[in-house]
Amino acid sequence: MVIVKRKELSLAEKLYLPEVLRGLSVTFRKMFEPKVTRQYPEEPLPKTEVTRGQPRLVVNEDDAIACVSCGLCEAACPAYAITIDGGETDRAIEREPKRFDIDMLRCILCGFCEEACPKDAIYMSDELELADYSREALIYDIEKLKRPKAALQKRIDYVNRINKRWQTPSST
Amino acid sequence: MSTVQRTGVDDETRTKRTFEYAPGVVDRDDPLHGELLELNMGPQHPATHGVLRIQVLLDGENMVKVEPDVGYLHRGKEKTCESLGWRKFFVHTDRLDYLQPLMNNCAYALALEQLGGIQVPERGQTIRVLLMELSRIMAHLIYLGTTSIDLGAVTMFFFTFSEREKIYALLDAYTGHRMNNTYIRIGGVYADVEEHAEREIRAWLAQFPRKIDEFETMLTGNRIWYDRNRNVGILTPQMCKDWSLTGPNLRASGVEWDLRKQQPYSGYEHYEFEVPVGTIGDCYDRYAVRIEEMRQSVRLAEQALDRLARTRGAEFLADDRRYVLPPKSTVHTSMEELIHQFKIVTDMSLPKGEAYHAVEASKGELGFFVASDGTSHPLRCHIRAPGLMNVQAIPVLAEGRLFSDMVSIIGSLDFVMGEVDR
Repeated sequence: MVIVKRKELSLAEKLYLPEVLRGLSVTFRKMFEPKVTRQYPEEPLPKTEVTRGQPRLVVNEDDAIACVSCGLCEAACPAYAITIDGGETDRAIEREPKRFDIDMLRCILCGFCEEACPKDAIYMSDELELADYSREALIYDIEKLKRPKAALQKRIDYVNRINKRWQTPSST
Repeated sequence: MSTVQRTGVDDETRTKRTFEYAPGVVDRDDPLHGELLELNMGPQHPATHGVLRIQVLLDGENMVKVEPDVGYLHRGKEKTCESLGWRKFFVHTDRLDYLQPLMNNCAYALALEQLGGIQVPERGQTIRVLLMELSRIMAHLIYLGTTSIDLGAVTMFFFTFSEREKIYALLDAYTGHRMNNTYIRIGGVYADVEEHAEREIRAWLAQFPRKIDEFETMLTGNRIWYDRNRNVGILTPQMCKDWSLTGPNLRASGVEWDLRKQQPYSGYEHYEFEVPVGTIGDCYDRYAVRIEEMRQSVRLAEQALDRLARTRGAEFLADDRRYVLPPKSTVHTSMEELIHQFKIVTDMSLPKGEAYHAVEASKGELGFFVASDGTSHPLRCHIRAPGLMNVQAIPVLAEGRLFSDMVSIIGSLDFVMGEVDR
């Protein structure tokens, strides 16, 4: 336990004027320190693979979407931003989404969809800017969400890295 | 609260001090004396720190009656928890006290872990302590900045905000978001702290005590700060008990009560730190206690970093397939793990029962009471938000005083409406 001091003012501090000068000296010193202001749109924020931006769908090397429309991201989404309609396909994975909409105005970028996805099909990209003229335009469909795997590779590597726990599967 | 120890001033001196300073001297020759004015302070007033409306009945400059009106930011969080389910509510805890999202995450996770009997590995606990102490510093910086800008010290606001910005940059680089981190999971944390993040946090912590000295240069000996905070809004320990005030407000009144010491959680019993307490319990003491708390938080965070360096590579998530998502690589190869993945995401249920867990948040005791009927959705989730109790203390402190003291009192009690209204 430490009892905090209650400082009593000295005469110089009571007179106030010397203290104004002392305070101004701190302010004056600050003038010569490097500026911390960021000119935002021209000078964007640093983005790393850790940055959780808007979710995007992975398109594999064979130009096919990795999603099999299992609906787990839809179930995991706390903002109810994802809507999926599943359908059959002739490809080897048999299923793919007929409709995959993410309402970007609802999305809170929590990353639960990425965490839930069992097929590594949805990842948080580093795209953060979101602006448009209408609400409808911000409901992104498959075409707007598709990204080649190479564009998301850094994030995929990061997710794989943080998932390197429990090398042996548990018996529970 | 059997272990409460009283320190500093005895009751007699305390009462004497209270009446030494006589603010409510009514000038009876004033022609306007006796004419009462009803004034609405807020909900858009910048000094009410959010959307708080305070109805003040004024007799000249004296406040006769003060009535805080809360609820402008009510979003029904507790009810939302019942419909969302256990896991999805994490994102909503971020938005309670939005100045310290990680602290809220931790409090909620600890309540669920108590209910489910989940053991968090040591490294997970250490990461949580580190994040909680960083959030405490962040929240106290906001207190300092906003209170001083309300009392006219605009420069301080920029000083504290530039420091806070640096923590935000660290959290951005490490948890992925600046605010609303959603980083804590049941059984541990989302990802491990990487070595470069540890280094950066350590570098920031090393320079921060100098910054606190700088803040003190600006405020501690400042006559205006001194006059507007000294002997204003005196809280006695009895008043704190009556109005269930906790945290720095209680400690400033001279009661040594810190949940990190009294009911240690997340391994706080292994850390060395001091609990700062005040003597009188006025706005100045509350300021001094928070300044000292920031210094102690730096100490705690440094110890947590040392522990992280010792346990590098260890588990940071509990190995419990009922509540913790399996690692992704195993989901692709093992049928059982895939079932676990689906089961946890869609239908994670906690055992039947009730649990209450409280943490020492920056504003006081932040507790989550959760009741489960054994299904995937909570029966009830109650949030004991310290801010609400702090708001309740405004009339007690403000009535009978000058209107200009209101700003100091509101600032020093420190609350966030996101958590008060929830």
